[in-house]
Amino acid sequence: MLLSYRVPREPSGPRIAVWRKLKRLGVAQLSDGLVGLPADARTREHLEWVAQEVRDAGGQAGVWLAEPTDAAQQRRLAADLSAARAGEYTAVRAEAEQARTLPTVQRRRAGQRLRAELGRIARRDFFPPPHRELAQAAVRALLDTGAVDPQEVPR
Amino acid sequence: MRWATRAGVHIDRAACAWLIRRFIDAQAQFVYVDEPGQVLDDATPFAMPGVDLSHHTGPDGDTDCSFETILRRHHLDDPLLWRIAQIVHEADLDDERFDAPEARGMDVVLRGLSMTRTDPEVIDLTGPIFDGLYEYHRRAALLGHEPA
Repeated sequence: MLLSYRVPREPSGPRIAVWRKLKRLGVAQLSDGLVGLPADARTREHLEWVAQEVRDAGGQAGVWLAEPTDAAQQRRLAADLSAARAGEYTAVRAEAEQARTLPTVQRRRAGQRLRAELGRIARRDFFPPPHRELAQAAVRALLDTGAVDPQEVPR
Repeated sequence: MRWATRAGVHIDRAACAWLIRRFIDAQAQFVYVDEPGQVLDDATPFAMPGVDLSHHTGPDGDTDCSFETILRRHHLDDPLLWRIAQIVHEADLDDERFDAPEARGMDVVLRGLSMTRTDPEVIDLTGPIFDGLYEYHRRAALLGHEPA
C-alpha cells in the first residue's frame, strides 16, 4: 500500500503534522513524497485519512495498491521496515539497561515508561526483528527488580 | 433518516453510529459503502475521507476523529460525550493527546469484533457497550470518584 503525497512547503504546520502521523504509523520512505506500508484494512484506512489531510492542506495525495515487479524489492522493503524497528527496540533496550542501577522508585518509573514505548513501537512493527524480544526482556527485568524494598514500607 | 459510512466498522464508526442513534436520530438507518461516490443523495455520509462529518485537522496540527466532529457540528456539549470522545479519539488516532486508558481495550475489542461479525452486527453489539460507558462516566461524575 503506497501513499504518494506533496504538501505545500508553507505553512509548515500541516507538513509537520503529516510527517508526525507517518512516523507514528511506521511507514517505509520509498522516495521523496512516497511512503509504503504492508496492505491491510487498517493501514489502508490510516493512509487514506493522511491523504485527505494532505488534500485539505492544499496538497496532492493518492493511495495505491502496488505490487513490485520482483520479489527482491518486496524483501528489501520488509527488511528496511524491520531494521527501522530494530533501531527503536535497541534504543529502548539501552535505556532499560542504563536504568538498572537507579534506585527502586526511579527504576520502576523508567520500566513503566519504556513498557509504554515498547507498546508504541509494537503497534507499527509489521516484521518483528529479534531485537524486540531482547528489548522486552530488558524492560521486564527492570520491572521485576523494581519490587518494593522492605526498608521503604512504613512500619 | 439514512446515514452512510464506509464498510469496515471500527471504533470511530461504531461510536458515531451509537451517537447518531442515541442523540441525533433515533430512527437512523445505516448503509455501508466503499467510497463517498456511492453515497445516495438522501443519505448523510460520515466517518469516511472526503466528507464533512469525518476527521479534521486544525491549523495547530491537532486532528479530531469523526466522533468529535459530529459532536461539534451538532453542538452536543454534554461533557460525558466529550469524555467518551477522548476514548474514541485515542483508540482511533492513538496520538496521546488525551489520557484515556480505556482506549487500548476498546480498540482491541472492536478489532476483534470486526473479524467475527458483519458491520451491522458490530454496530448493534457495540451500542449497549457505549450506553454502559456513558452510564459509568455519568455515575463517576455524580459521585466524584469511580463508581462500583
